[in-house]
Amino acid sequence: MSESRIEGYARALVEIAEAEGNLAVVENELFRLARALEQSETLRSTLTDESIPAARRQAVVEALIGGSATNTTTQLVGLVIGAGRGRDLPAIVDKVVKRASSAQNKDLAEVRTAVALTPEQESRLAAALEKATGKKVNLKVVVDPSVLGGVVATVGDSVIDGSVRTRLDQVKSRL
Amino acid sequence: MRLIHLIASEDPSQTHHWLLPETAEIIYGGISSLIIFAAIYKFGLPAAKKALNARTERIQKELDGAANALSTATQEASSIRAAIGDISGERNRLMAEADQQAAKMLTEGRARITAEVAELEARGDAEIAASRSRSSDELRGEISLLASAAAQRAVSASLNASAQQELIENFINSVGAAR
Repeated sequence: MSESRIEGYARALVEIAEAEGNLAVVENELFRLARALEQSETLRSTLTDESIPAARRQAVVEALIGGSATNTTTQLVGLVIGAGRGRDLPAIVDKVVKRASSAQNKDLAEVRTAVALTPEQESRLAAALEKATGKKVNLKVVVDPSVLGGVVATVGDSVIDGSVRTRLDQVKSRL
Repeated sequence: MRLIHLIASEDPSQTHHWLLPETAEIIYGGISSLIIFAAIYKFGLPAAKKALNARTERIQKELDGAANALSTATQEASSIRAAIGDISGERNRLMAEADQQAAKMLTEGRARITAEVAELEARGDAEIAASRSRSSDELRGEISLLASAAAQRAVSASLNASAQQELIENFINSVGAAR
């Protein structure tokens, strides 16, 4: 998919979420779904399989996130999947998140951890990253077991890596 | 005089001696002989002289030709002898040149073979060293792979919930204290 088309879908999703008045929640849910899609080959292949009818794929989406996400998020994901753009959903969601962050005058801070953070840890981490970068951040946490332990935070072009995986890689390369 | 006297005293009426010719016959014969001798002297002698001269000239020419032939033959013999000498010199020169070239080729061949042997030895040494280094690297890589796998397993095993929380807290604190 071309960059302009991804941008167009992202703009449309943001405007719909804004119109519904729940942009912050929707972009958060979309972000989690996109990361889940990236990590699950089965889910990705199911939602992007053109041989499966669009209605069936939309039903899969509804069954998957219908109970845990807002109706707006479910409908928007169903829209993208039904249009046959499931393969580009992570890229579209990344644009949505960036647009939402910009709308709030914040930088996107993507944080990867091996285990989920508590809300209190998330707020303290956001405050710490804001203090470290001098910018307001829109914190997005991705649970990624490959990190093994610790945290990897990416704010704009800066990467703060405190993961066990990186330490192990350093030890391995030193060996 | 005696003969003339004898002729003049001969009597024509007497019978001629059985051995001596008639007087007139002697006179006529003598005159004829003189005429013949004169004719021979007049005409035959120059022709004979001319023929002799021609023969002498021809013989002289033949002698000159033989002398020339001898001279040419001598010259040719001399040049053949010189050529034989040249051929011998050329043969000696060629032999010397061939010996020189053979010696040169031998020297060059020896040098080339020595260089090739040295190069082969160097290559062999380098390959042995590379092989040793490769084996060493492979062993080191294997050890590092095993060590890192063991380290990962040990770290993963030790990363319980409290360790995870401690790592996260440490990260938050260190990032917050960074500025």
